[in-house]
Amino acid sequence: MTTEGGVQYSKIAEIKGPLVVVDDVDNAAFDELVEVETNEGERRLGKVLEVGNGKAIVQVFEGTTGLSISGTNAKFVGKVMEMPVSKEVLGRVFDGLGRPKDGLPDPIADQFIDINGEPMNPEQREYPKDFIQTGVSVIDGLITLVRGQKLPIFSGSGMSHNLLAAQIARQASVVGTNDDFAVVFAAIGVQYSEAEYFRKSLEESGALKRSVLFLNTADDPAIERIITPRVALTVAEYLAFELGMHVLVILTDMTNYAEALREISAAREEVPGRKGYPGYLYTDLSTLYERAGKLNGKKGSVTQVPILSMPSDDITHPIPDLTGYITEGQVVVGRDLFRQGVYPPINILMSLSRLMKDGIGEGSTRDDHAEVANQVYDAYSRAQEVRALAGIVGKAGLTEIDLKYMDVGDVFEKEFLSQATDENRTIEETLAILWKIVSKLPKNEITKIKDKHVEKYYQGE
Amino acid sequence: MTAQGRIVWVSGPAVRADGMADAKMYETVTVGNSKLVGEVIRLTGDVAFIQVYESTSGLKPGEPVIGTGNPLSVLLGPGIIGQLYDGIQRPLKELSKASGSFIGRGITTTPVDMVKTYHFVPTASNGDEVLPGNVIGTVQETDLIEHSIMVPPNHPGGKISNLVSEGDYNLETELATVEKDGQNVPLKMYHKWPVRKPRPYNTRYDATVPLLTGQRVIDTFFPIAKGGTGSIPGAFGTGKTVTLHQIAKWANSQVVVYIGCGERGNEMTEVLVEFPHLKDPRSGKPLMDRTVLVANTSNMPVAAREASIYTGVTIAEYYRDMGKDVVLVADSTSRWAEALREMSGRLEEMPAEEGYPSYLASRLAEFYERAGRVRAAGSPDRDGSVTLIGAVSPSGGDFTEPVTTHTMRFIKTFWALDAKLAYSRHYPSINWMNSYSGYLGDIAKWWGENISEDWFGIRNEAYGILQREDTLKEIVKLLGPDALPDEEKLILEIARMVKIGLLQQNSFDDVDTYCSPEKQFKLLKLVVDFYKQGQQSLKEGTPLASIRELPVVTSLLKARMDIKDDEMPKLDQLDKDMKEQFKNISGVKVTN
Amino acid sequence: MTNSSLEKTIDKILDQTEQDILSNLDGALSDSHQILDNSVTKLEDEYDKIVADGRKEADKLEKQIVGSSDIEARNKQLLALEDAVDRVFTQALEQISNSDRNGDYANLIKSLLDESTKVLGTSEVIVFTNSKDRDVVQSTLGNFAGSELSSETIDCIGGVKIQSKDGAMKFDNTIDAKIDRLKPLIRKEIASKFGVKE
Repeated sequence: MTTEGGVQYSKIAEIKGPLVVVDDVDNAAFDELVEVETNEGERRLGKVLEVGNGKAIVQVFEGTTGLSISGTNAKFVGKVMEMPVSKEVLGRVFDGLGRPKDGLPDPIADQFIDINGEPMNPEQREYPKDFIQTGVSVIDGLITLVRGQKLPIFSGSGMSHNLLAAQIARQASVVGTNDDFAVVFAAIGVQYSEAEYFRKSLEESGALKRSVLFLNTADDPAIERIITPRVALTVAEYLAFELGMHVLVILTDMTNYAEALREISAAREEVPGRKGYPGYLYTDLSTLYERAGKLNGKKGSVTQVPILSMPSDDITHPIPDLTGYITEGQVVVGRDLFRQGVYPPINILMSLSRLMKDGIGEGSTRDDHAEVANQVYDAYSRAQEVRALAGIVGKAGLTEIDLKYMDVGDVFEKEFLSQATDENRTIEETLAILWKIVSKLPKNEITKIKDKHVEKYYQGE
Repeated sequence: MTAQGRIVWVSGPAVRADGMADAKMYETVTVGNSKLVGEVIRLTGDVAFIQVYESTSGLKPGEPVIGTGNPLSVLLGPGIIGQLYDGIQRPLKELSKASGSFIGRGITTTPVDMVKTYHFVPTASNGDEVLPGNVIGTVQETDLIEHSIMVPPNHPGGKISNLVSEGDYNLETELATVEKDGQNVPLKMYHKWPVRKPRPYNTRYDATVPLLTGQRVIDTFFPIAKGGTGSIPGAFGTGKTVTLHQIAKWANSQVVVYIGCGERGNEMTEVLVEFPHLKDPRSGKPLMDRTVLVANTSNMPVAAREASIYTGVTIAEYYRDMGKDVVLVADSTSRWAEALREMSGRLEEMPAEEGYPSYLASRLAEFYERAGRVRAAGSPDRDGSVTLIGAVSPSGGDFTEPVTTHTMRFIKTFWALDAKLAYSRHYPSINWMNSYSGYLGDIAKWWGENISEDWFGIRNEAYGILQREDTLKEIVKLLGPDALPDEEKLILEIARMVKIGLLQQNSFDDVDTYCSPEKQFKLLKLVVDFYKQGQQSLKEGTPLASIRELPVVTSLLKARMDIKDDEMPKLDQLDKDMKEQFKNISGVKVTN
Repeated sequence: MTNSSLEKTIDKILDQTEQDILSNLDGALSDSHQILDNSVTKLEDEYDKIVADGRKEADKLEKQIVGSSDIEARNKQLLALEDAVDRVFTQALEQISNSDRNGDYANLIKSLLDESTKVLGTSEVIVFTNSKDRDVVQSTLGNFAGSELSSETIDCIGGVKIQSKDGAMKFDNTIDAKIDRLKPLIRKEIASKFGVKE
């Protein structure tokens, strides 16, 4: 991947954690790519975190295990890390640093792109508003995804987030024009079986030839995880903005990414923020998530669905917390629903799509969509309150109207939320179920829907 | 003599350079071969510590650092309104001309078009003695903004000569010469002002006029005054940005400065796309004609976040000095504080709480102190205001974290966003028990004089109902609703009406998005009247169920969406309907 | 009661019963028809479902097979191309290693040394080369004060590798390393010559 020459320095001052401190360096740049060569001639990649006063601190992606003070060389390559890209990356499998993992040669590069990317100019962004039909009712109806959005799935260990993400990837790809859709999948420290599930799922839907996979599995070097989402997003940006494709990027699991970042921060002895994560975790995450979007005058889009597992299902943990501040909403997987065997077990009250309002309505879905969705949110929220109340006073203590809300809660979970993993519902089907739920309520409870829509779609008595 | 040094160390946005003995604190410098913009934030011997406002990727020790001799400043003159700037006042549109869809580095541009002509109408005359702050003429900047050309605050003043006559001039034209002690200083349409230095004014007033935002929970329950300070903290997903956008859209100020500090790129795009199509409810002109945007999104270099806040507030003060009411919205001050924390960490300063520097509180205080309603310096007399509203993004939604707690010390209106309300889709999710306004008493007079003298009393009655409900809810949680007597159940019912019919407001609904003060008052009064009549009916023996099922209840709840601002008679009709319906049910009672 | 009236009554009852039985029979018949009908529809539904499921499965398989074979064909092409590229490289390297060490070559060595010493920032270096290039390198070293040729030879096609005298810095400027650095760019050139489009 290196096209420039670089000086090799062999005076290693210190090796700690993932860092190598090189002495007597007089010609290195911040962020520069470094090739570290071990005694045995094995080459590992790294980058400069800090340089000055004759010292360079190098972060080694593949870990420092086996490195020694004498005999280790660090070659400063003279440029930042780049990913070779071309249309032929589609259908390929790479490792976490963007090197082929499928036994095929390096892609013949059309371009070499700095994996850090550059910030999109907000003035040049195109506001995302194109509805993506995922065929999953709860997403399409209540947490609508639009092209160019970043909508994470907040989950917990062992829950069905991967099933959902794979279903979205499969079904979103079949709608509309087929050819300009691509999936970029980055496995970040997940188990091999999870990565394999995704690959299979894409293969079965025939989408593999329009997919690019980057795999850093649980047994791969941890620090490599810093790079994995960056190479993946670099390829996604290329496919979207150079080749005009609509790219869906799935990053799983961002918790492993943040942990790798924490490891480096600890090795640098930085003042930690909450739970030991560095104070710049927000900024760092934003340099990934903000790479989603649409641009004026460019055909394609980058839509991101990052997945993260919330440690102890705690949404206030720094990783989901800071993610939520950057992303345009969140899809929260609920432990209770999961235990009840509901799929997809989405807690809609904690979930949100910020861009939904612009992606739905007349011309994209239907003009009553926003209102009926609001009413269902409201009703389900009331249903939860009533359920809690019923837990105290018993069903007998509930009023007539309370019981109707209980009913709404049940119908919602059984008929709307629940769906088979290969069930692909149209938006019309989804809206019909929403109206079925609303129609369980008497008319005077419907405060969020305009009369004209009630007249047209309400089916209650 | 400007400093000329060499980089000796680079780590992220922080750079150290030696040979900088001539550099001054907070001087702007150009860094490296690609001429990045930076600012000196510490001097030790001849080593300067520099925060760089652009990405330092690829920067090497040995590259040059050159001082500019000037502190970080903004250019103030016509052409600012309608712009989208980055944190150091570079127009993002111009940057895109140089580097396309993505932001490149080391690009220099002017903040406004220096050769665009404006029609200048002089208001001073040759021979006039002018002082700093005096208005010498005006230009029409946009349809909405008449822009006063003022003698800069740092100008010595003196006697005017060579004043141009009315006509079209560009920014570089010398409009007049001002002579003092034999020195001739030219005046142009623009001047520069250092961002970290508050602009001077004459006198400061109390904040007694409400800033009307068209948002019921704000205007009616937790108002903010023109020249006041407010803060809106909330966990993610609680609707901070939507609320701030609503304020930026509908506030009755003449100028709005919107700072996106470390937030999402698409939010700025949304404003850019939406505002030109939205009409100011008072003037009917596009909202963009009064709006300035400063964007340093989360993925843009972190050091410029800090600058963006100062850039924004200096622009706000400039328009205040023309006698305008300016609202500045900063989303989010937490990201600014985090930038301070990051630079402090690189400076290896001793951290205070949660790694934030010990000067966090004083920086926040300095910022909020730049709010105020003032009589501007110079003549003629101009009264203007800067209202500062800052979002806070507390980690984990925890209001005891340092940025929230320190901010609370320096602001007077506190809109506490509540994740629970947001989860139940109660928007704006401003929690009525935890929020407060220190301006309520001061601005009650305005409502009394302009809307109704009953306003204060009725507002407090409605708020009282919410407070009672809060206590009653605890009992219901333990014992169920049947444990309450009808009188108290009625309170729960009314509180629900206040919540759904008043506190909730749908910013995406064409009608509900903005609510005039008249409509706010009438809706409020209707609900409070309903309560009074309900109480009376109960006393006369009407069952609660009959009151609850009155058709007027649904109409009341939907009135915020169904009745437009120019349809006030419909609300009066609702009032009549209500009385009629109450009469009917108590009629039923009598015949029994 | 007379016999006849008794008989009449019995007849009536019998008649009634018969009618009941008949209507019951009728009912049962129509019921069973109904049930049969229903079960047929149910059966048909089941059947349809099985067919639909099968079709779904078939669709899935088809997509999978078509998709996979597309990829396989493309991957074979990639491998073939890489083979060709490798052949071109091998030939080129062979040519270089067999080329004459003439005046041009001496110039090349000088420029390689120039570049290397500049990068290291000193000419106080130890120079390594292969046995074939030793003479050319030795004769050029006079231009680089403080430099010396190592007695060790290295395995390369040509060019030099230099090292600061304290051993702290190294720079590899062999022709092998140069070509290696240029390889990604050259591959694109070669690939396009083979008629592979983007």
